[in-house]
Order: sequence, then C-alpha cells, then structure tokens
Amino acid sequence: MLKIYGSVMSRASRNIWAAEECKAPYDLVSLDFRKGEHKQPAYLAINPAGKMPSIVDGDVVMAESLAINMFIAQKYGKGALWPAEEKGQAKCMQWTLWAAAELEPVAYGRLREVLFKKEDERDHKLLADLAEKGKPIVGVLDAVLQSSDFICGAQFTLADLNVACVMEYMVRSNFDLSPWPKTAAWYKACAARAGNQKVQSLRAEAMKAAA
Amino acid sequence: MITLYGKAASRTSRNLWALEELGVAYKHVPADYLKGDTKTPEFLSINPAGKVPALTDGDVVMTESLAMNLYIAQTYGAGTLWPADKAAQAKCIQWTLWAATELEPPAVGRLVEFVFKKEHERDQKNVDALAERTKAPLNVLMAALTRTPYLTGTAFTIADLNVSAVAEYLVRTKFDLAPWPIVLKWVNECLGRAANQKVNQMKLAS
Repeated sequence: MLKIYGSVMSRASRNIWAAEECKAPYDLVSLDFRKGEHKQPAYLAINPAGKMPSIVDGDVVMAESLAINMFIAQKYGKGALWPAEEKGQAKCMQWTLWAAAELEPVAYGRLREVLFKKEDERDHKLLADLAEKGKPIVGVLDAVLQSSDFICGAQFTLADLNVACVMEYMVRSNFDLSPWPKTAAWYKACAARAGNQKVQSLRAEAMKAAA
Repeated sequence: MITLYGKAASRTSRNLWALEELGVAYKHVPADYLKGDTKTPEFLSINPAGKVPALTDGDVVMTESLAMNLYIAQTYGAGTLWPADKAAQAKCIQWTLWAATELEPPAVGRLVEFVFKKEHERDQKNVDALAERTKAPLNVLMAALTRTPYLTGTAFTIADLNVSAVAEYLVRTKFDLAPWPIVLKWVNECLGRAANQKVNQMKLAS
C-alpha cells in the first residue's frame, strides 16, 4: 500500500491531494520537521536527502512531490487523473515540469516571505519583483484556459492538480488573480475539489493540535 | 514521427540527445530564437509561449525539455532509456523533477554569469552564492552514485540523461567537481556517450 511520509503542512499535502483524487488507499506517516523527524536514520533510509515528502509503495521508493504525483496518477488514476490518451499524458508531463521550473520559483519565493516572516520583516521589494515576474507566467496558463475549463480539456487531470498546488502559494501570498479571470475561476474549481478539501481539513486539524 | 523544434545550441540539445540515444527517426526544425523563428505564427501555434524546444508527434504537442525527454523515453525507449522495472521508472520521474528544481536553478545561474555575460559584467557575489548552493545537490547526487553506478541502477536511463544534461552547465562553466569524484566520473561518462557527442557536433554547426 502507498505510504506517504511527511507533514500535511509540507509539500506532502500535494501527494495527499492526488491520493484522495484517485481514491487510492494510503497511510500518512506524519513527520514533524520541527522535531527533526525527517533527519532520523529511519527516514534517511527512505530519503537520504532528508527532505519531505517521500513515498514507499511496494518496491517503489521515491521523492520530489510533483514527481510522486505523476507516479500516483499513472498507477492509481488511469483514465482520470492520468488521461487515457497519449496527447493528454504528454500535457500532464509538460505542465508538471512547467509548475516546477516556471511557477514554483516565483510562487515559493513569495510564500517564504509571507509565511516565515512577520509583516514588518517582509522584503516588500522582493514580493513586488516576484509578483512582476509571476505575471507573464500566469499569462501562459491563462492563454491555455481560454479554450478549455481545465489544462488538458474538459476534465481535471494531474496537470491541473500539480499546477494548482503550486498556484496555491501565489494565492496564499496574496497575489491577485483577478486580471486573469479564467485562471481565477480555474483555481477556484481546483481548490474546491473534495481531494483538496480533505487536505485543508487535515491542515486545520494539524494546526489546532499544534496550537 | 517526432518533429523537434529548436536549434541544437539550446535546451533542444537535451531532446536531440535522447532521440539519438534511441536511434528513432525524427525531423529536426532548428528554430532559432535569435532569428525570430520562435515568434512566427506557425511556431506560436505549436508553443504559444514562443519558447524552444517543442515537439509534435501525431496529435501530441508538447514543451518543457525535461518533460519531453520523459515522453520520448516512455514512448520509444521501453527497456532502455525507460527501464522495465516500475521502481526504476519512479526514480526516472523523481530525478527528472530533481534536475529541474534542485540542480537547474544554480546551474543556469552559473551559465548566465559565465556564458551570457562578459567577464567585466560578472557578479562575483552571485557566482560565490551559486557555488555554495550547488554543493547540497552535488552531495545528494554523490550519495546516490555511491550506491549504484547509474541513478536508477546499473544501466544508463533517462534519469542519468536528464540530470547530466543539466550538470553539463557546471562542466561548461568550469565548476570544480573534484570534491565529488564519483559525480565527476559519472558526468564525464554520460556526456561522453556517442549520442551526446553527435549532439555536440550539431551544436558547433548551428
């Protein structure tokens, strides 16, 4: 069975979302990075780099959240999260790399400022620069969403999931999507999905437990 | 048949390498962004973002060089670039994302400083910071290559191709890999493969 290692507060949330979408049974092995649980020998045997998330599924052992989602989609989401046609599969690969290479550097840069720093410690010039850099990137996605509700067409696929879980950083860091109404509507539809709602409720529980 | 767009002296070289490894027939359209080839209506209909590389293959249209290599490997490289074993396939996907998120940012940073800028324009503070940022991913790579000769085991796969194609930026910018001898040996071996040597000739000719 699929085992997901990491905290719901970490990028493991992306994998929980994918597993929920596929209705794949999974165990979440919670690791508390504040207690250094991701640097303990038991976890380092799974991921020598000591980063979250990782998964173990039979003899498959892997890291990199967006890559893990590609594996989950291919194994548990055929015909749904992982489209049946090669054309859609190719798009899922493309947009996964796009999310990692184009969107995430900007989105994570913004999230880091907002999440880990108090308001008066934030580098507002950096936030503004990253917002500026983000505009043409969001524009690329928006162009695609002019002709279909989701990235590969009428159906929500891994392409949407992997891009939306990175776009979430833009939204959480108060990047205004309203100049791109198609993208704003797309994000809302992705975030509203039951799989993501489950992630949000797990996060709320984790925050309550920590408080 | 695959049609690959982009001149050899661009990230297109990664895809040329994968295609040459597999010996599959393909058509190469060496679209040159410096000549405006990537802003023509014809090219924009393939990639509206106007970037190379891009490929078409029947009704498949795609971009993102490392993703294209996953597609090429999965479609044409079963049992070779795309290993038969599921665990190794998962590793190919993992290392491809790792190349994009962990190694490429500092490696591209160096390429910008050393290849695209003139010597007097170089930002030494950035060069030093990039060198520092490169250490952690090299340590991860070294640990993996200490366990097995190639990233997914005993055979060269798309994982090695995608990671070494990014590590090439470090070699090209003369980053000293001596403290990571196993990485140095592996990257030289990967880049020395006949298929990549052919791509290097194409780069020189472009």
